[in-house]
Amino acid sequence: MTSATASMDLTPVWISLQVSALTVICLLIIGMPIAWWLAHTHSRLKILIEAVTALPLVLPPTVLGFYLLLFLGPNGPAGQLWVSLTGSPLAFSFSGLIIASCVYSLPFVVQPLQASFETMDKRSIEAAWTLGASRFKTFLLIIIPQIRRGLLTAIVLGFAHTLGEFGVVLMVGGNIHGETQVISIAIYEMVEVLDYESAHKLSVGLLLFSFVVLFIVYGVNRQWHRQRLA
Amino acid sequence: MNTLYINVKLKRDDFELNTKINLPAQGVTVILGPSGSGKTTLLRCLAGLEHPQHGIIKKDQSVWLDTRTKTFVPPQKRNVGVVFQDYALFEHMNVQANVGFGLDRFQAQSKVPEWLAKLKIENLAHRYPYQLSGGQRQRVALARALITEPELLLLDEPFSALDSHLKQQLREQLLEVISHLKQPVLMVTHDLNEARYLADNIGIMINGVLQCMDKPSNVFNYPASLDVARVLGWRNFLSVTSIEGCKVNSAWGSIVLAKEPSIDTAWLAIRPEHIKINTQHASIDAELLRVMELDGVREITCRLIDGTMLYLQRPWNALFPLPGSWLKLEFPVQHIRMLKECVSPQSHKQILKNTRDILAMQNTSGDEAQKKTA
Repeated sequence: MTSATASMDLTPVWISLQVSALTVICLLIIGMPIAWWLAHTHSRLKILIEAVTALPLVLPPTVLGFYLLLFLGPNGPAGQLWVSLTGSPLAFSFSGLIIASCVYSLPFVVQPLQASFETMDKRSIEAAWTLGASRFKTFLLIIIPQIRRGLLTAIVLGFAHTLGEFGVVLMVGGNIHGETQVISIAIYEMVEVLDYESAHKLSVGLLLFSFVVLFIVYGVNRQWHRQRLA
Repeated sequence: MNTLYINVKLKRDDFELNTKINLPAQGVTVILGPSGSGKTTLLRCLAGLEHPQHGIIKKDQSVWLDTRTKTFVPPQKRNVGVVFQDYALFEHMNVQANVGFGLDRFQAQSKVPEWLAKLKIENLAHRYPYQLSGGQRQRVALARALITEPELLLLDEPFSALDSHLKQQLREQLLEVISHLKQPVLMVTHDLNEARYLADNIGIMINGVLQCMDKPSNVFNYPASLDVARVLGWRNFLSVTSIEGCKVNSAWGSIVLAKEPSIDTAWLAIRPEHIKINTQHASIDAELLRVMELDGVREITCRLIDGTMLYLQRPWNALFPLPGSWLKLEFPVQHIRMLKECVSPQSHKQILKNTRDILAMQNTSGDEAQKKTA
């Protein structure tokens, strides 16, 4: 038992956490402007962009993974560009995994942010401007506090959804130990070789982690709601 | 000397703001107009929150907007204090943080307590906006706008978020604060009483166009056109069909004025308290329709023979004949105002339509009334 624990490789856990964290950071940077634009535009393109960002919600991960593989693969446009820039292929690499995860989890970050941007008090932004606050200061002190519930939801959903992804990772990242093998795939592999004990350990760990995070998030959200500050 | 010069054109969907104003260096200027007339858009232009397609805005020597030279000073650089409708307080900050938002930390330390004291809200320093009453919110918004010592203070319907019983008291408080300011104040409202109470100058805005700008007594007593008079609360309008010297004729009868009306006189107007009943010179026939008890006065609704409705006011204890009886009315010439047709073509159409609606309504209600009496 002790020997099994000692020998159990925790690399997939570490990779999963890295992928999830990096994906959330990238998605906040990409998703914020998209969500802001969707919340405020009157353009006819809005419906199109909204539909495209929601696509990963309904598409089977294998379909998404398949097209991402074609796009990121050595013959795909992104893959070729990446090879010419870095000299290494994008598919079945850690970087490729991050890009695929961003596409996969995009709606989970954009939608809560968009909802927050839509309901926030726009005049408070203008009030801040007339009081001399720069756009950056306004973003930091007026916008962020008002959307913080949506922001928290976006971060947690984005993180959790990336942590649990399977189909897309398998298609795009493959199952390279120490590079692209994430928790869900490691569990799948353990079950396949009938190593139920290790599968249990990882699964229970993931279960507890997810539960605790969601518990804290709901608690914090409720607290913020009580303060009527969000 | 005029310190603020505005001449802007802004077109959006089906609305156009097209306004030219010279604002006096000091005092409270109130822009009065129905909702949707472009008052708030005008304020937003001044604050730098709108980008007019054409125009110039100058404050003293500095140019805030000049579309010919593509000059646009952003709101951050204009130093304009704005009290928004509903106040737009920062809900996640307490009163102290709200008031000090426009200052750096060092300035805020000394000036926030000073301004909280000035507006008598020291005891609210640590409260959050949702814990404040409407009047307290207004004062926080005022302190927040004034603490940066703006060159111009803009007030957008500052009382619209309040219950009516609070308005009178808050009007006095607001007057006390803004009458001591050295910078000019521009306020927009659709409320006649607010305008009358607070204004040193009143402008009337209708359909995006500023119709006039003058001292309140002049504006209120001498409206130039029908649409301006309506905004100012005038209700009794008599159409003019033909003019012969001093004599004005129409379907409701005729009247001899003190002086010859100008050729474009289209309407006569008179205030409800100035119409006399059954006097020696009374000559206009009117049917008394109903008597209503209002605040300290009795209001009588009459109908002239051409269907025009007139409203008369008398002290609360004045006696009247019964509804349905006929009266003779006198319009004292010194109280009659001669009005042009509407100034802006858009409102002209609108008012013609309104008049048609009113006439149609009067005809139907008249029929009903006749049926009832029958």
